[in-house]
Amino acid sequence: MNFKKTAVYAALALFLFYAVLILSLLTFFEGQSFLEVLLAPDTLFSIRLSLLAATIAMLLAVAIGLPAAYALSRASFPGKKLVDTFLELPMIMSPIALGAALLIFFNTPVGATIQEKGVYFVFEFPGIVLAQFATIAGLATRLMKTALDEISPRYEAVARSLGSSAWGAFWKITFPLAFRGLVSAMILCWAKAVGEFGATVTLAGTMSFKTETMPIAIFMALASADIRKTIILILILAGIGLSALYAVRFAEKRPQIL
Amino acid sequence: MIEVRRLNLVLGNFRIDNLDLVLEEGVYNVLLGPTGSGKTLILESVIGLRNFQSGKIIVGGEEIQNLPPERRGISYLPQDLALFPHLTVRENLLYGLRAQKKSFGENDNHLGRLIDALKIGHLLGRYPQGLSGGEKQRVALGRALAPSPRLLLLDEPLTALDPSLKSEIQQLLISLHRSLKFTALYVTHDLEEAYLLGDTITVLIGGRVEQSGGREVFLRPHTIKVAQFMGLRNLFSERVLQVEGGGRCITVSFCGREITLPSDHAAGSLSVGEDVVLYLRPEEVLVVREGKPIKESLRQNILVGEVVRILDRGTHRWVLFRPLGLSVHLEINLPNYVFRNLALQEGQEIRVAGRRESFWVIPASSASTPN
Repeated sequence: MNFKKTAVYAALALFLFYAVLILSLLTFFEGQSFLEVLLAPDTLFSIRLSLLAATIAMLLAVAIGLPAAYALSRASFPGKKLVDTFLELPMIMSPIALGAALLIFFNTPVGATIQEKGVYFVFEFPGIVLAQFATIAGLATRLMKTALDEISPRYEAVARSLGSSAWGAFWKITFPLAFRGLVSAMILCWAKAVGEFGATVTLAGTMSFKTETMPIAIFMALASADIRKTIILILILAGIGLSALYAVRFAEKRPQIL
Repeated sequence: MIEVRRLNLVLGNFRIDNLDLVLEEGVYNVLLGPTGSGKTLILESVIGLRNFQSGKIIVGGEEIQNLPPERRGISYLPQDLALFPHLTVRENLLYGLRAQKKSFGENDNHLGRLIDALKIGHLLGRYPQGLSGGEKQRVALGRALAPSPRLLLLDEPLTALDPSLKSEIQQLLISLHRSLKFTALYVTHDLEEAYLLGDTITVLIGGRVEQSGGREVFLRPHTIKVAQFMGLRNLFSERVLQVEGGGRCITVSFCGREITLPSDHAAGSLSVGEDVVLYLRPEEVLVVREGKPIKESLRQNILVGEVVRILDRGTHRWVLFRPLGLSVHLEINLPNYVFRNLALQEGQEIRVAGRRESFWVIPASSASTPN
């Protein structure tokens, strides 16, 4: 067997692994109850909550991550390598550990003051957003940095020599050129936020009609041995995730210009 | 006038110390140097893309070193051209005018003339990806010149081009400069390009300006470093034997003989006993025909020796000559028709001579000039 064939078989094996996992859900799937579970008030709440929290978390991650990614891509500053390494922390740290760290932080004097004088995070909606933000911000920055790295800094240098300010050169030149990469990064981070469980459950809890996101709803349904509901919720979550991934592929495959 | 005064810049192990550079307005200035000599660092400092330790950049009497790049009025054309791929040719051309909020009406004539001169009128609606290499070059030039910059910086824009396209763009640059009279600083390591394009040429080696001037830089190098960078052949280690006429004439040893030259054939004043490098241009070496009368001025420096090798270089013949009894070699470039008339053969004994005006003397001490 040649090298290329072996690689193709490996790819097919991976595909089959995930396909079998999804198909195995159909063993217990009851089609007639799909709509019933989907349209149930608690499911609709979970979907709405997940989509809203993930969207806010993703926007926050982009708002902070994009300038950070630009700095890491274009600038040299003391501690750059340290910052770069820390951005990967959420990717290697267990989400539960991340949630626990957030929970512990809000029990420190600083954290307690933030909650008392500002916004309540623990067991509240902002906690879901914060947990998801903590999980995806590093990834968002890393992916956006990769998108910016692909754009030669000489475009900006030329734009500035022609009279654009630093912001103008970024907005008119770098941003449109990196747009597809940035959109892909946003969609991937949003999808990851939608599926986030560990940090959210640790910081925001599992309160029905309050902090019950889709992954938490799956966990609760499984904990109460409601397999039928669990499977349908998994399929809905998988559908949302796969749609997002397809959107990423679509964004990447469109011709670069025109 | 555009001046760089006492520029000090440190980047890792590389230093530029107290560099002075003067660019005449309306002139095509070339900054020539080998790779790693600091050309691009200087260029980036002038544009404002690189911070430097100290120094001044003065344009038209105004110090601009503290201004951001967008307020310096200096256009930049990088090696890869960096045409904005998401903008049409028209939008690329108008980018600078829009960014500087210059009214198009005021610049219509200039822009129109530019588009005509560059022959890019038919490309205005197209995107850079669809353009040929030459078209891209012309559009990039148009974009850089559209806002009428005080200075145009070109960073080796022709390096990656094939010879025919390179020649075409060189001709375009020359004619464009003649008609628009813009001030340019052209950075290159290409000797031929520098000779062809440069009104003034500054030779930069190891972060230090070794020599500035017109095309005589190529014929009359002031330091051994410049001579070596130019790839000059026929450099002989010799010695000053005599200084006469109040310093107006110098006598220098030459392959065991003596040759007397006017002092303006030397880079700087020389003293008796000083070690020098004598340069004789290969294309100026004369092969003396048997039986032909020899000018008195040439008798002094006739060398008798043997043709060691002959190579056909296409445009000329390269002849390697060794004077009898000496271990040095002299390279001679002969036009093909001259070579045919002489019918030289390898191993043949011949006599050669150099005209006095073809010799150039470089102080040997210039090799150890501190950086």
